[in-house]
Amino acid sequence: MKIFGATKLAETVIQTELCSGCGACIDLCPYFRSYRGKTAYLFPCTREEGRCFAYCPKVEVDPDGLSRFLFAKPYDGHPLGNWRSIHVARAGARVKRQPFQSGGTVSALMYFSLRSGCIRGAILTGRKGLLPVPQLVTRPAGVWRHSLSKYTAAPTLAALNRAIAAGHEALGVVATPCQATAIAQMRMNPLQNRSFRDHTALVIGLFCTWALDFRKFEAFLAERVPLKDIVKIDIPPPPASVLEVYLQEEKREFPLDEIRLLVPDTCGYCLDMTSEFADVSVGVLEGHPELNTLIVRTERGEEIVREAQRQEYIILDDMPVENREHLEWAAGNKKQRGLRRCMETGRLNGEAGTACLRLTGEVTDRILKNGRNGKESPCHT
Amino acid sequence: MSYLIDEGKNASHLLMGNEAIVRGALEAGINVAAGYPGTPSSEIIECFSQVAKERNLYVEWSTNEKVAVEVAAAASFAGLRSLCVMKQNGVNVASDFLLHLASSGTRGGMILVTCDDPGALSSVNEGESRLFAQLLEIPLLEPGDFQEAKDIIPWAFDLSEKIRNIVMVRSVTRLSHASGNVHFGPLPTRVAKAEFRNSGPLLDPETGPMIAMIVGAPEAQHGPQQEKMKRAAEIFETCPFNTYTGPATPELLIITSSACSLYSQEAVSILGLGERVGILKLATTWPLPQRLLKKHLAATPKILFVEEVAPTLEDHVKVVAAESGAEIGVKTFFGKKSGHLPSLGELNPDLVLMALSRIFAVPYEGAPADFSAAVKALAARYAPPRGMTFCPGCPHRASYWSINNALKLDGRGGFVCGDIGCYVMGTMAAGFNTCKTLHAMGSGSGIASGFGKLKQFGVDQPVLSVCGDSTFFHAAMPALANAIHQRSPFTMLLMDNRGTAMTGFQPHPGSPTNVLGEATPALDMEKICRAMGAKVEVSDPFDLEKTRQKLNHLMEYADGAKVLILRRACALSPERRGKKEYEVTVDESRCRGEDCGCNRICTRIFGCPGLIWDGEKKVSRIDEIICVGCGVCADICPAGAILRKEVA
Repeated sequence: MKIFGATKLAETVIQTELCSGCGACIDLCPYFRSYRGKTAYLFPCTREEGRCFAYCPKVEVDPDGLSRFLFAKPYDGHPLGNWRSIHVARAGARVKRQPFQSGGTVSALMYFSLRSGCIRGAILTGRKGLLPVPQLVTRPAGVWRHSLSKYTAAPTLAALNRAIAAGHEALGVVATPCQATAIAQMRMNPLQNRSFRDHTALVIGLFCTWALDFRKFEAFLAERVPLKDIVKIDIPPPPASVLEVYLQEEKREFPLDEIRLLVPDTCGYCLDMTSEFADVSVGVLEGHPELNTLIVRTERGEEIVREAQRQEYIILDDMPVENREHLEWAAGNKKQRGLRRCMETGRLNGEAGTACLRLTGEVTDRILKNGRNGKESPCHT
Repeated sequence: MSYLIDEGKNASHLLMGNEAIVRGALEAGINVAAGYPGTPSSEIIECFSQVAKERNLYVEWSTNEKVAVEVAAAASFAGLRSLCVMKQNGVNVASDFLLHLASSGTRGGMILVTCDDPGALSSVNEGESRLFAQLLEIPLLEPGDFQEAKDIIPWAFDLSEKIRNIVMVRSVTRLSHASGNVHFGPLPTRVAKAEFRNSGPLLDPETGPMIAMIVGAPEAQHGPQQEKMKRAAEIFETCPFNTYTGPATPELLIITSSACSLYSQEAVSILGLGERVGILKLATTWPLPQRLLKKHLAATPKILFVEEVAPTLEDHVKVVAAESGAEIGVKTFFGKKSGHLPSLGELNPDLVLMALSRIFAVPYEGAPADFSAAVKALAARYAPPRGMTFCPGCPHRASYWSINNALKLDGRGGFVCGDIGCYVMGTMAAGFNTCKTLHAMGSGSGIASGFGKLKQFGVDQPVLSVCGDSTFFHAAMPALANAIHQRSPFTMLLMDNRGTAMTGFQPHPGSPTNVLGEATPALDMEKICRAMGAKVEVSDPFDLEKTRQKLNHLMEYADGAKVLILRRACALSPERRGKKEYEVTVDESRCRGEDCGCNRICTRIFGCPGLIWDGEKKVSRIDEIICVGCGVCADICPAGAILRKEVA
């Protein structure tokens, strides 16, 4: 993987609005900062190589290198990436019913991991008004304040960088696919820093088709509802095709077709629906809004899942074959769409420092063959 | 007691040109002086203020140059002698009133002193004020040395009273700011008694109202004004300050004025051309003394014009030569238009030497071509490599830091319209290149007001303007009024550093004291802006994060004009000078240096001269000698390596 510096990152990713605002480059240095969902490059940094570039999930991503590092296997372009097991999951008896999205598996796993000491801090995303605000949570009960979907991109990894700089260790992170990719890149110590240590202990990846541009979403809602009255936002599974905004007194619905206009361009370049480079990935189970799909990918992920199940923090069931096939179909579609977009814009295997990602011809062909054109899957951040 | 009012017989002092002008005015019995600060003119009002009590003067720093001329004009209308002073750019500001004043005429002697800045050493341009004399139809005098700078002032007052109009006296940086020996004359003892007589007939120059308004009848005032100029031209024929040195029939006649006459003398002397070249030094450069010129033109076949900035003398003398062609014959001219002298920048003896050596084919080894390169190389060995920047502890650096960050975080491509003050460096790395326009005093806010109204054409990014406290009163208030009235959604950053800092802390209407140090009402900018209808916030620029937050908030507030007052005294101001708030040190073990995670943000970007990069140890250090202890750098260090301890 070729690593460049901040100026190249700004040129290739930020100025072209390819930035998803994941926060991987934030709080490492004084040059990048996140503000209202967008990443700003404040001053020119002249370093030829920087962690900002190396961590960015939107430039020079090498899925094969990541796959070999995390799973000791080559990247083969499978719609769901590498996995050990796939389950139907939900929060278990040890978890009191909380206002969480779908089956509550993510919150339950984080809650368990903090209680059990598997992790000593969790990087989660809360909300200030509509603005997603990433935070370090060290008390298990703190997990519940962050349990609802945000639907907009959040600079979650800025909080991870801050926590690491402050000396926190054994951190758990709830990440979107782009964030999970960034974390995997961080864990590879790309700048070969001698004092580097991996301070993540668990990365829970979310399924994601897209996340909304915060500024556009806020402006959209501000024109339609009193922002201060918003209690919760939800996108129920199909065939609803609406975004629900729960206010103090009422519920308002907006057609998803209108909402999709607020999706930033960058999501169109994404090949990853299921957070393939996380330890475990969680999403909604198609047709069962109260249940989750859980993909276990790494050994450390597997250990935590098994222990959480044993101690009844989560309940696992077998994944019906038709559900898995549907998930593969949806994920394969996203992969193919993202890949085509990269190819059309010269961002697959392009000039050094400007490519989104690098894939072999063989893997490219496999993805293009696997994916089927069809309607968009209803899974979201 | 100031040496400026030394009454000793045969007294002489080493005076700056500006001081000589003041002494001249004192000898002429001046009563009122007003001006607006601007290099190289600022010392004149300051010198008057030092002797105001002893000489019973009224002296003020006016809100702007136009007001300064108006204040001085009132004194003249009341029969007093008055002087107004400004740098060349100020004449542009004052020109509207000046045009009307030249029409109504004056009563007591009145002088406009303009100090031009050839080479734009401390200006945003090298504007030429001499052309105003032609435009305004008023006489122009240019003293050629320090003695003349004093002597010409009483003569100018007399001239003003003879023709009943304002007289312009032009100096340049090298006259205003250089020093020479000046022999003093006596100071008058008369006590001034003023009266504005206004009950006489409309056009009566002694007793009528002073009015520049004879609609549809130009002959009523313009005619007499032209007569005044004819009188002045006649007087100029025998002006004692027009001098000629050289042979009766020189091979070449140099026509020059002001500091250039000194360069000419030196060049002729060095080349030993005293027998072949004559120097006609003109003090009366508008209107030109035609007969005097004709006499000298007739005596030579070749003429070289030595003057700075515009070829003003060159053009006007050529007209005289053309008109008298039948009498004086065909001449060969050298100067800016022939390419013998440069058309921009300051002149110096060397440039005149080279022009002469070309004309006479006299070999002259000027400074070797690699001389300036050698000087620079030598200087680089001892001087740190440093661009133009703000002083250590300057609030502007902190302000621009926050402005840059707010604009970048906002991310909509917003920009700043710059203005005149030390903060012009917002166009440079010192101010993180945030300013994208820069013109005249107050223009940043006017331009921003305009940009704010271009949304319908697709220009919809945030627009900011910067404006100093003195500039606010000088010319930015009308721009802000415009923006508020037109609902232009721009944000004015009022950088209130408690005085007219760039020119030396002259007071302005927001100051609690006047030029004499007496208590005066200080106008409250915050209340003014609020009363005008702007949304106003105040911040201490040294509080980087709060300032940034307030600015982002104001930029996001779309409706109408907003003002963020950034209040912190200039580091060189009397109230901060010599007082360290913090003792600042660097913990070298924590400094990240050039590593990923910092890359020298303090020395490479923030750029306070008080921070030094130790290239050997690869860490930053504090230059204790010049650090003023503002402590702001502690907030920009990402590693917490810069430590500040409050000074007890």
